[in-house]
Amino acid sequence: MDVLDLARTQFAVTGSLHFLFVVLTLGLAPLVAIMHTRHAVTGLPVHERMTRFWGQVYVINYALGILTGLVMEFQFGLNWSGLSHYAGDVFGAPLAVETLGAFFLESTFLGLWIFGWHRLPKWLHVACIWLVTLTAYLSAFWIMVANAFLQNPAGAVERGGHLVLTDVGALLANPMLLAALPHVIGAALWAGGFVLMGASAYRLFTGTDEREFFTRSLRMGVITALLGSLLTVGSGYFQFAPVAEFQPDKFQGDPLAGIGLGFMILIGQSLQMVILFVLAPTVYWLPRWRWAHPILMLMTPLPFLAAILGWLAREVGRQPWLIQGRLTVADAMSPGLTSGMVAASLVAFAGVLGLLAVADYALIVRTVRRGPAAVALGAGGPADSTERAHALSH
Amino acid sequence: MDILWLGALALLLTGYFALAGFDIGLGMLLPALGGNQEGRDRVVAAMAPFVLANEVWLVAVAGVLFGAFPAVEGEVLYGLYPLVVSLLVSWILRDAGLWFRRRADGRAWRAGWDWTICVASYGLALSWGMALVAMAGGLAGPVIGLPGLAGGAVVAGLFALHGWTFVSWRLPGQVTGARRTGRALLLTACAAAAPAAALLAALAPWLLAHAAPDETLSVLSVMILPLTPVMVGAQVWVWRTFGPRRAADPTPSFF
Repeated sequence: MDVLDLARTQFAVTGSLHFLFVVLTLGLAPLVAIMHTRHAVTGLPVHERMTRFWGQVYVINYALGILTGLVMEFQFGLNWSGLSHYAGDVFGAPLAVETLGAFFLESTFLGLWIFGWHRLPKWLHVACIWLVTLTAYLSAFWIMVANAFLQNPAGAVERGGHLVLTDVGALLANPMLLAALPHVIGAALWAGGFVLMGASAYRLFTGTDEREFFTRSLRMGVITALLGSLLTVGSGYFQFAPVAEFQPDKFQGDPLAGIGLGFMILIGQSLQMVILFVLAPTVYWLPRWRWAHPILMLMTPLPFLAAILGWLAREVGRQPWLIQGRLTVADAMSPGLTSGMVAASLVAFAGVLGLLAVADYALIVRTVRRGPAAVALGAGGPADSTERAHALSH
Repeated sequence: MDILWLGALALLLTGYFALAGFDIGLGMLLPALGGNQEGRDRVVAAMAPFVLANEVWLVAVAGVLFGAFPAVEGEVLYGLYPLVVSLLVSWILRDAGLWFRRRADGRAWRAGWDWTICVASYGLALSWGMALVAMAGGLAGPVIGLPGLAGGAVVAGLFALHGWTFVSWRLPGQVTGARRTGRALLLTACAAAAPAAALLAALAPWLLAHAAPDETLSVLSVMILPLTPVMVGAQVWVWRTFGPRRAADPTPSFF
C-alpha cells in the first residue's frame, strides 16, 4: 500500500466505525426521549424502567460515537490538510457550526441528563434528553451539508487557487443533501428500532420475567423500524436523480461502489418487505411467538451492515475525487505525509478504536443480558432499594 | 470580524485548559488521591458530571480552527502529527476508562481502567505541554524534545494542582483533607489556562493573518451568535446543578 491507500484506509476504517455507533445514537435518542416523556406524563414505573434500561444501552453506545468522532474531526488536519487549504473557507463552515451549534450543546445536555437523575426537576430532566436528540439531529444535518458539498460543490467558486463561499443558500439546499439527509435519518431509526426488537426478542426468548417491559419494547422497535424503512427506501430512490445529474459515473468507476450499492439495496429491500408484510401486521402477536424470536435476533445487525455498505457506495463512488470535479484525494493529502506516519497512526487508531468497539458491544450485550433490574443509569433513586433486592435474588 | 473569531478561539482554548485541566489533573492523581477502590470511585464521581461539558470545548476549538482559520488548522495539526496522534489516543483511552470502569463487575476490571485513566491523563497533559512548546517555536524544530518535555511537566503540574483544588472544593475535607473556596478554584483555573493564553497572545498576529475571508466569517457569525446564550446557559446550568452545596451525589455514580 502506498501512502495514499493507507490514508484512505484510515479514513474508511474510522469513518465506518464512527457511523456504526452514530447510526444507533441517532436511532435510540428519540425513542429514549419518548419513553422518558411518557414516564413524566403517566408516572408509570414501566416507563421509567424502559427509559433507564434503553437509556443505558444508548449511553454506552454513545461513548464510541464520541471517541471515533474525535479521530474523524482531527484526521482532516492530520492527513488531508490539502482539503482545508483548498476548500476550508467553504467546507470548514458547516463543520464549525456542527461543533459549536450542535455537538457542544449535545454533549453538555447529555452530561446533565446522565448525571441529573434524582437531581433535576422532572420536566427539566425530560427537556435535557429532547435537547440531546434535537442537537444530535442538527449535528447530522451539518455533517451531511459538509458531505453533500464534497459530492457536489454547490455555493462556491474558485478564486485565486482555492474555493470561496458565494451562496450559503445553495450550500444548504444542495440536491445531494436533500434526499440523503432523510435517508440517513431513516436508516438510524431502522437500526434503533431493530436493536429494541432484537434485544427484546432475546429477553422474551430466554426469560419469563419482564414480559410487559419487553413486549412493549419489541412492539415499539418494530413500529420504529417500519417508519425508518419507509423513509430510508423512499429517500434512497429519490437520490438516483441528483446522482445521475452530478455524479453520472458514480457506480461504474469503482467496483467497490457498485457492489456496496447492490448489496445495500438487496438487504434494504428484502428487510423492508419482511417488516412491511410480516413483522408489522403481526406486531401484536409477535412478542408471544417464541419460535420467531431467534429470527428477529439474527436480523438485528442487518441495518448496520446496509448502512456501512451505503456509505462505501457514496464515498468510494466519488473516486478519484475528494471534492467532485475540483480536488482529487491525491491532491488533498497533506504534503510531505509519509507511509510511516500514516501506518503508525492507522495502527494506533484502528487498534485502539477496534478493541474499544468490541468492548463496547460486549458491554451493551451485558446490559441486555442482565436486564432492567441491574441498570446503573439513574440508580440510587427512591424506588431503587426494591430493584436492587430483586437483582440480587437472581 | 476576524478579531471576533480570534476571540472565540482564544476563549474556547483557554476555557478548555481551565475546565478540562481539572479532570485531567484528577485523572493523573487518581491512584494517589483515591487509595483504594472506594476512594477512586469517589474521586471519579466528583468530576464525572463535568467531564462531558469540559472536553467539548476542545472539540469546539477544532471546529473554529476548521471554520474560521482553515489554513492554520491544516498547518498546525499536520505540523504536530505525532503529538496530535498521542493526544487523541490518550483522550480516547481516558474517556473509555471513565465510560467503561463501572460497566462490569470485578475489582480487576475497574482497577485496570483506573490505571488506564491515570496513564492516559498523563499522556494528555504531556502531549499538550509538548504541543504548546512546539507551536511557540513556530513548528520549526522536532516536535518532541527536551524543551517539550519540560513544557509537558509544567502543564502536568498545573493540571494536577487544579485537579487537587477542584476536589477540595467539591468534596471539602473528604478526599484531600483540605477545603478550598470557589475563589481558589478560579485561581488554579487561571493558572491551568495561562500557558495556552500566553501562546495565543504570541500567535495572535499570525492567526489574524490566516483567518477565513469575511464572507465565511459572516455566515459563521450569523449561525453561531444566536446560539451563544444557550451555550453559555448550558455550561452555567452544569455548574449550578453539580456544585458542592447541592444534595449528595446519587450512588453509585454512572462513571
